[in-house]
Amino acid sequence: MSPSRRFGTSLASQLLRTPLPPSTTRTAFGRHCYHSYDHPPAVAVSYGSTEQAILSAAYTHVPQHGFSQRALALGAEDAGYPTISASVLPDGAFSLIRYHLVTRREELSGKTKTIFGEKNLGAQQLSTAARVEQLTWERLLGNKDVVHRWQEALAIMAQPSYMPSSLKELSLLADDIWFLAGDTSVDPSWYTKRASLATIYASSELFMTTDKSEGFFETRDFLRRRLEEVKQMGSVVGSVSQWLGFTANAGINVLRNKGLRI
Amino acid sequence: MVPRLPVRDLTSRMLPTSSRRQLSTSSKTNAATTETRSTQHPPPGKRKPLTKEQRDFLSSALRVNQAGELAATLIYTAQTPVVVARHPHLRPLMKHMYDQEAGHLDTFNALIAKHRVRPTALYPLWQVLATGLGWGTALMGREAAMACTEAVETEIGDHYNEQIRTLLEMVAEWEADGYEVGPELRDLISTLRRIRDEELEHLDHAVEHDAQKAEPHWLLTGVIRAGCRGAIWVSEKV
Ligand SMILES: [Fe+2]
Ligand SMILES: [Fe+2]
Repeated sequence: MSPSRRFGTSLASQLLRTPLPPSTTRTAFGRHCYHSYDHPPAVAVSYGSTEQAILSAAYTHVPQHGFSQRALALGAEDAGYPTISASVLPDGAFSLIRYHLVTRREELSGKTKTIFGEKNLGAQQLSTAARVEQLTWERLLGNKDVVHRWQEALAIMAQPSYMPSSLKELSLLADDIWFLAGDTSVDPSWYTKRASLATIYASSELFMTTDKSEGFFETRDFLRRRLEEVKQMGSVVGSVSQWLGFTANAGINVLRNKGLRI
Repeated sequence: MVPRLPVRDLTSRMLPTSSRRQLSTSSKTNAATTETRSTQHPPPGKRKPLTKEQRDFLSSALRVNQAGELAATLIYTAQTPVVVARHPHLRPLMKHMYDQEAGHLDTFNALIAKHRVRPTALYPLWQVLATGLGWGTALMGREAAMACTEAVETEIGDHYNEQIRTLLEMVAEWEADGYEVGPELRDLISTLRRIRDEELEHLDHAVEHDAQKAEPHWLLTGVIRAGCRGAIWVSEKV
């Protein structure tokens, strides 16, 4: 294992172990509100028009100038607002990071058709797990153009004032991926699936920042291994609880056979 | 097999609706709503987006219904072997009620997945409590088992009625403003009505099978009903 890879994983686990204030954990799973097909929300656009214009122009400067005030200033100039007022983008560089997170995530539902074919024909041959892997990989590729700037971005995202927003985006991404993959489970696995995918995504993303391989194939490998580990862990948890239930039932049945009316 | 009984209309038995929330269909203040109503008419076929408050209501309604139907299937699962061992003639009734509960649970599971609502977080807790309640009351005897059904269905019936009323008010307000109502919400209302009727049918079966002869009936049903209200309150939040 190369030293850079070890750096990647340990930083990821450190980031993930950072204790969160209770309010943050609430936001992380608190946004899954009724999604209406007949009465959808009026504002489907995530940004106002001025904000949108500046951010999309600034975004093109990120590969060269990073998620920075410099990129924002250049973007504002391109969009025809030579001096950006602080009120439009109060979060500065973080608003550019959030723009990246939101647009790349929203792009995913459109890409689903391309990946799995119209009417999800291709998806029927794939297992949910395979579709999750495919979608997660697709989202990781969304970082391709800014990957050399992503460690700086992660440092900003980890600041206490931006942590809740960053985690909220991460949880929305995990939720979108399971939904787009066609998962319909609504038992306790709903929570473990989202939590483990969010963790895996965050560590894969970090791994990718140090990956110099052709087409990021090492990142893809890393992702596949992490998902495989979770699948195995999940089946252990599942069989333990199944075994407990089975043992309890068997015990009760033995007593019933002995004539006890329980 | 089991005769379908005429469904009792619960409206007369409804508690005063102080606890029920009234949802505004507009994100603006009420004053603004009345003003819009008199001045402009939306084009035909226009549907109003759900407000945050309405979406929150629908999320917690689906979540609490999922938790309740999960509990109901588990109560019957735990009761059936004990009750049927002592009273084999009750097998078809127990199976009929269980099958309906399983259908209700499937309905809400599908709605939660479709509308991307977070499922109940206390799933394992409801599993343990409902199984314990079912098994415990069954061990106390047929009457206690039926008293359990009576108590649970009374609370559940009231609870579904409150949801139906809130949704009907919401729909009525849209229609008064000239907006169209999508099939999604109409279907939800008719689903809730059907399920409520089936719950009240269970209540009638329970009373028919001597639920009220359980001793001490008032204590048993009182405790279980209080427990149901507590569980509903918790699952609306968590
Ligand atoms: Fe039910
Ligand atoms: Fe019922």
